[in-house]
Amino acid sequence: MTPRRVATLVAVGALVVGLGWLMFSFLERRLSAPTPDAEPVTPAAETPAAVGPHISAILYFVSEDGTLLEPRAMDVPLRDSPAAQARALVEAQLAATPPEPLTRAVPEGVTVRGVFLTGRDDAYVDLDGTFVSALPGGSHNELMATYAIVSVLTTNLTPVTRVQILIDGREVETLTGHVDLREPLRKNEGLIHVP
Amino acid sequence: MRRLAVLLCVALTLAVAGTAPVAQGPSPAPITIVSPQGRRSLTVTTVNGGDYLSLDDVATALGLTLRDDRVTGTTTVTAGGRSAVLTPERNVVSAQGRLVSLAAPPLRQDGRLVVTPEFVTRVVGVLLDRRVDFRRAGRLFVIGDLRVPRIVVRGEFAASAAQVTFEIAPATEPTVTRTGSELVITFAADAVDAAVPAVPANPLLQSIRPGEGASLVLATGPRFQSHRTTVQPIDAGTTRLVIDLLSAGADTLTPGAPAAPAATPATPAAGSADPGPAPSLPPPPGGFRTIVIDPGHGGDANGTEGPGGTLEKTVTLQVSRRLKALLEGRLGLRVILTREDDRTLDQDERAAIANNNRADLFVSIHANAAVRPTVKGAEVYYLSVDRASLESRRAIQQPDALPQLGGGTRAIELILWETAQLRHLEQSASFAALVESALRGKVDMSPRPVQQAPFRVLVGANMPAVLVEIGYLSHPDEEKALTSAAHQDKVALAVFEAIAAFRGRIEKPAQ
Repeated sequence: MTPRRVATLVAVGALVVGLGWLMFSFLERRLSAPTPDAEPVTPAAETPAAVGPHISAILYFVSEDGTLLEPRAMDVPLRDSPAAQARALVEAQLAATPPEPLTRAVPEGVTVRGVFLTGRDDAYVDLDGTFVSALPGGSHNELMATYAIVSVLTTNLTPVTRVQILIDGREVETLTGHVDLREPLRKNEGLIHVP
Repeated sequence: MRRLAVLLCVALTLAVAGTAPVAQGPSPAPITIVSPQGRRSLTVTTVNGGDYLSLDDVATALGLTLRDDRVTGTTTVTAGGRSAVLTPERNVVSAQGRLVSLAAPPLRQDGRLVVTPEFVTRVVGVLLDRRVDFRRAGRLFVIGDLRVPRIVVRGEFAASAAQVTFEIAPATEPTVTRTGSELVITFAADAVDAAVPAVPANPLLQSIRPGEGASLVLATGPRFQSHRTTVQPIDAGTTRLVIDLLSAGADTLTPGAPAAPAATPATPAAGSADPGPAPSLPPPPGGFRTIVIDPGHGGDANGTEGPGGTLEKTVTLQVSRRLKALLEGRLGLRVILTREDDRTLDQDERAAIANNNRADLFVSIHANAAVRPTVKGAEVYYLSVDRASLESRRAIQQPDALPQLGGGTRAIELILWETAQLRHLEQSASFAALVESALRGKVDMSPRPVQQAPFRVLVGANMPAVLVEIGYLSHPDEEKALTSAAHQDKVALAVFEAIAAFRGRIEKPAQ
């Protein structure tokens, strides 16, 4: 191999390496750069740990002995209207991870379809059917789930005194055959643990 | 080569085993032919796990003629100019020129031809030119248009009372007659198709057996003293007969009670405005006569389910039946269950049954569940009410007036369904405390044994009403206990004692 041929091979090799580096660098920058069409990723539901302005609200969980609702202060996002705040409270109640040694009072995976406030201090909470289908039955479980929702609004939103739970937009007689849900319910202090 | 020979032997053995009839086990129960000409019993042989009948016996009973053809290996069955040709071990039979395919073929068994019940219904039916039904439960062939109701029998047994229920379809009138130590139930029919259950050891009833003609016989036990019958139409096509067997001990609670008459007419019950006194145990004085027990959930609504798979609707029905037997046997009360089997009921239907029967007490039986499996114990609930909404309801609830014959008006009190329980809250609370007290001595109690809650089933009850949660199915040990007869008896006895004490309060109010 002549020196000229060796020099040509070295030059070609250097060119290939250089082009490869340029292409890699370009693609890396291109792939990591935000695209103008991409939607910002937002959580499906706000959780009590969300950043931003928040209020300290009382949420309800099942007590350690399993017999009562245990109140716990947790952060809930601040909203600019009572109706939006009511929705945020219900969503927080449904999404909150119970602090040890408490357990959830409401089923997991429930979606809030809407929360409405009336001029008569009543609130209507419209939940999807998971609130019924994921409830394991028994009047005790039904009382815990129902009054966790009732209590989170009547405790944290002063004007609200009664809450009616709707399922998939409709009034229901009961969730699993016990608690009468045809009328708005008041808070049941007898079900709440007083420390 | 040797391996091939072994394989051939095995294959041959399997082939022989697969085709040769194999007689099994003890003789099964006979099958009876019921026809307008009378009844004939046929001996049954079990072959390859199925019922077979001797074709000779069938021919004798039904007037068929058999002719074997040794050349072709076939047998010809004839009746009134109609014929069928069968070949042993072949599933296809020619009947009046039509081919009938059978699930199992006629067979040669000990030199005799044997056929299945299907052969009788599908081939012999063609020859007789009449409908032939096989009633598997009662092991009957029904030939022609005869009245043979299907009867489902079930029993509930306690120490001092027992109850036997007969569901009869199509609806057929029963008559109950006492003959010595036996109760004979005769049905207005040609025969009965009844699957009779075995009776567990108890002092009131020894056995249930088929009787002569269309009848069933209850052989009573040593403690049996009297009985009571009730007939309830369930729907257009079904009648329910309930026979309560009462012990000597039950009568000692109501001295002077007349013994049951020799023949007890069946007493219509459902829908009657006046419940009517029990024939053997008259209702107690003071008007406390009728109790409605509501077994929670049922049908599509299972209620909760324990970790061992126990369904709430099953346990609540079992306990309710035990409680009913106790109340009827010991107190002579009229007791109505909102459901006597696994059926779906609306919440309002349950209270409506109590209201329509003018019940003096309504007891709903439930079993509970909690997210924490450590939660256990019985609880008693009575209705909690929203005072503010009550006042608004009361404001619109005004007495009404009806015109009377001869002029004038008569004031009547209208009771809104939603407020029916309000006037009874005090008594409901009093009864709840009695139930709690009675349960406490017999079963574990929840830390919160008496509570108020807006339970839907209690809202419309126009009498004192409670809901008893008899324990937590989510607690593994309690689930096990709740399925045991002994524990169910304890719960039933506790509620029974509370009802007896409550009746005492109602009939003898505090001075």
